[in-house]
Amino acid sequence: MAVVDAAVAVEAGPVRGRAGAWWLRNLEIAVPAAVVALVALACFVGPLVLPVPPPIGGSVLESYLPAGSPGHLLGTDPNGNDILSRILHGGRSSLTVAVAVNLLGLAVGGTLGALSGYLGGATDTVIMRVLDVLIAFPSLVLTLAVAQSLGASQTNTVLALAFFSVPAFARISRAATLRLRELPFMAAAQLCGTPGWRVLARHVAPNIAPQLITFAMLGMGIVIVIEGALSFLGLGIPPPAPSWGNMISQGQQSLSATPALVVWPCLALFVTVLAFNLLGETLRARWSGR
Amino acid sequence: MTVPTATPAGTAPSDPRDDRAPGRLATVLASPGTRLVGKRVLLAVPIVVGVSILTFWVLNLIPGNAAQQLLGPEATAEQVRALEQELGLDQPGYVRYLDWLGAAVTGDLGTSLVSRQPVTALLGERLAVTGELVGLAFLVSLGLAVPVALLAAYRPGRMFDRVSMLVSITGLSVANYVLALLLVLLFAVELALFPAIGFVPLSQSVAGNLHSMALPVAAISFPLFCFYTRFLRGDLVDQLQGEDYITTARAKGIGPGQVLLRHAFRNSSFGLITVVGLNLGTLIGGTVIVEQIFALPGIGQLMLQAVNTRDFVVVQACVLVFAVVAVLANLVADLLYAVLDPRIRYGSR
Amino acid sequence: MSELASESSNTAPAQRRPSASEGVRCELASEPVAEREDVLATATAAAPPPRRDPDRTEPLLVVDDLRIRFVGRGRTVHAVNGLSYSLAPGRTLAIIGESGSGKSVAARALMGLLPPTARVSGSARFDGTEMVGLSEREARRHRGADIAMVFQDPARSLNPTMRIGAQIAEAVRAHSDLPKAAAHRRAVELLSLVHLPAPQRRFHEYPHQLSGGMRQRVMIAIALAGEPRLLVADEATTALDVTTQAQIMELLLELQQRLGTAIVLISHDLGLAASYADDVVVMYAGRVVERARTADLFAHVRMPYTGALLGAIPRLEREPHSLLPVVPGQPPDLSALPRGCPFRPRCSSATDRCAEDPPLQEHEPGHWWACWHPLPDARPDAPAKEGV
Repeated sequence: MAVVDAAVAVEAGPVRGRAGAWWLRNLEIAVPAAVVALVALACFVGPLVLPVPPPIGGSVLESYLPAGSPGHLLGTDPNGNDILSRILHGGRSSLTVAVAVNLLGLAVGGTLGALSGYLGGATDTVIMRVLDVLIAFPSLVLTLAVAQSLGASQTNTVLALAFFSVPAFARISRAATLRLRELPFMAAAQLCGTPGWRVLARHVAPNIAPQLITFAMLGMGIVIVIEGALSFLGLGIPPPAPSWGNMISQGQQSLSATPALVVWPCLALFVTVLAFNLLGETLRARWSGR
Repeated sequence: MTVPTATPAGTAPSDPRDDRAPGRLATVLASPGTRLVGKRVLLAVPIVVGVSILTFWVLNLIPGNAAQQLLGPEATAEQVRALEQELGLDQPGYVRYLDWLGAAVTGDLGTSLVSRQPVTALLGERLAVTGELVGLAFLVSLGLAVPVALLAAYRPGRMFDRVSMLVSITGLSVANYVLALLLVLLFAVELALFPAIGFVPLSQSVAGNLHSMALPVAAISFPLFCFYTRFLRGDLVDQLQGEDYITTARAKGIGPGQVLLRHAFRNSSFGLITVVGLNLGTLIGGTVIVEQIFALPGIGQLMLQAVNTRDFVVVQACVLVFAVVAVLANLVADLLYAVLDPRIRYGSR
Repeated sequence: MSELASESSNTAPAQRRPSASEGVRCELASEPVAEREDVLATATAAAPPPRRDPDRTEPLLVVDDLRIRFVGRGRTVHAVNGLSYSLAPGRTLAIIGESGSGKSVAARALMGLLPPTARVSGSARFDGTEMVGLSEREARRHRGADIAMVFQDPARSLNPTMRIGAQIAEAVRAHSDLPKAAAHRRAVELLSLVHLPAPQRRFHEYPHQLSGGMRQRVMIAIALAGEPRLLVADEATTALDVTTQAQIMELLLELQQRLGTAIVLISHDLGLAASYADDVVVMYAGRVVERARTADLFAHVRMPYTGALLGAIPRLEREPHSLLPVVPGQPPDLSALPRGCPFRPRCSSATDRCAEDPPLQEHEPGHWWACWHPLPDARPDAPAKEGV
């Protein structure tokens, strides 16, 4: 409900002077950003400082412990592994994969799109035809096929998901570059004899960055969901290493008896994706000037 | 500035349609709309070819030794070579691709490595199940999204708008497999209203079929509903606040409902068609995992089974079907747009 | 300022209403032969405009101390700050000002067409009815039926996906219970009223199939559909080329003659006002700085801002290659207006006294201005008058 309250606060009228801190006036950004930071902190630093057992190698004697058991805040899974620990470590791999896939998309796709839009002509046609083909595939179907060919591992998951992220980033980058190319300062830069790479680096890149970064926020959510799906289907992070997707898949087998095994990783997935989506949507609304 | 008209300038035509009567077919064929349709269809062809190449490449060239994988680690080198010969795996890649493509064009997608059945036969019935799932999800999500978006845009910023926007951003953040499991937990395990798994064919019982499809359809259509609602509501509000013709319509003194329906929605519907067409790819991708969870005998389930048994011939066929359907959906949306939007139908000056 | 200087170059203020023959020439140049006779008839009829005495008739519209501000994120924009004028039936009033002077906002407020962030106070009485503070439902009764509006950009102001006939018929049916067929006939009548050639056929066309001038004619047909008594032309000719501009203005005046509609002409173009308006109101920073009969105003400009605007118009008499005097400085920031006269920072005759608000007063019969240091009257016999 914090989102609604924030929106009401913003529309309710002027915040007097500069008294309100930046984050108070921008709750729509501050709240999801704080959630993202919190999730990242918990997943990457949490297991180091919190008294949680390792995510694997539990004893079957300790399986199916309920939440609140001593030493196991959220209980244990069928293998006697601590659920909290697995969620934190699972988040670590989810976030790592998502960041890697989006950075790959941003770097490769962003560059391809900007080149395609800036150069136009045959380069543009060739790049865009190839990307059209990649985009034609339903994202999960293509990543499934790639993951199946490559075999299940974290690196291969990143590669498989890059088949989705590179063309998506490239499209956005190209569209933004095309809009930019119409503007007078681009013509001015070119008429001044500025070399192409310099125009791209100094004029194009900083101007299309906001749109790409905004999309990266939405892309984080999308990648986390698809990575979860791959792991759920057994083609992502291979067990026993934890990931939210394979935890959900494992919990599904005893859904009626111990729904908590499914509910906890689902909740973690949902909160993280929601935070990224809210951040992306708000940024997008800001950039588009609404 | 005034374009010379076909009718003599002195006599105003009495029948408002009389200038369209002669040579109607010729006019239609030469219209910008028809040309656009032709162009779009031609553009779709290389995409379909590209899709088939990529499908083939991903599944044939990456895995290295398909025969070894198929036979398992215990297989002897002779067995592997024999199977490779049988499957034609000893041929160079492009030869195999052209063979496969040639067969695929005539409707032969190969023979399953596991069940030894023709792939087209495997696909047949499953296509109907997935088709029903997609069709229902599509109807439900769009059927609910349009009225909700209209109501939300009618009074932007009010309670209904805020709640629907909150629900939709939430819904967009729920992965469909998460939603599917939560639906099973709530409606099948706790309330026992719907079956958790299983499929009743339409031929057996219509009511039973719909009963068994209810949860899978809900799992697929809810995120879609959220997506369409957000898109349509956003587009409507943008128009209501930013477009001059909306101000003109309001200045005529017509009511806000008419402004919304006759002016804003009419224009937003074109954008919606495009988005729906683009989105159908995601929609059918989502069926893979939902069919798996609810044990529906559709193409997605077939594909997953084939993935697990390393039956790459079947996987390849399924991927191709999914991709071609997505391309066709996109094409249909483009064509629909061209047929419906007068700016394209009659061309712009 | 460059906007004003360049765009008003099209019609210098010295140029009065074009003669009948000029009008005919323009029409013939662009419209098909079908309408020639009709055009000839109207052009000759328009030659001597019969004028009623404005003082004896009850005013149709009385705007009194209209104030509009927009409240947004921590910022309040004062768009209109005490606008007052009145308009008699069948007359033409020009409201002149730079962009951001509040002229359009004030007109939209009459029809209740402002966004919800607008706060309107003061009074605007149309035929005795208070228009400020009406509910959306009440305001809707007047829109189109009493007051109609023609907007700047006809390309954007018509719905691109609706046939123009349907858009006119919709306006017809908004204020009558005519059946569809009758509304259709009425729409075709309206199309011929605005001299759109081949109205029967045009009825079925889409806006993108028409030229800019034709689209604006359709906009006028829509505006006239409810038989309004007041037509607001909000920069209605700004987006059109010069010859089309003249045609549209001629059409508006011709219709005014035939239907007795009062017109509020909103423009940044002083030339337009000089050629077509009976009275002129000059706005600056959301308030009226000078107001007079058209002839009086252009003969004896008193407010330095109006003078500066006139000075910025390029003229043929001017020495070639001489620098065009422009109004120095920037238009004021409406969210942080200075105390006193808003034109003070840009005015060459400003003194300390200008920190005090100059009241808008009728200094000469029919001629109002708000200035402590008005320009000297151009008439040789006029007594030099400084302040109040």
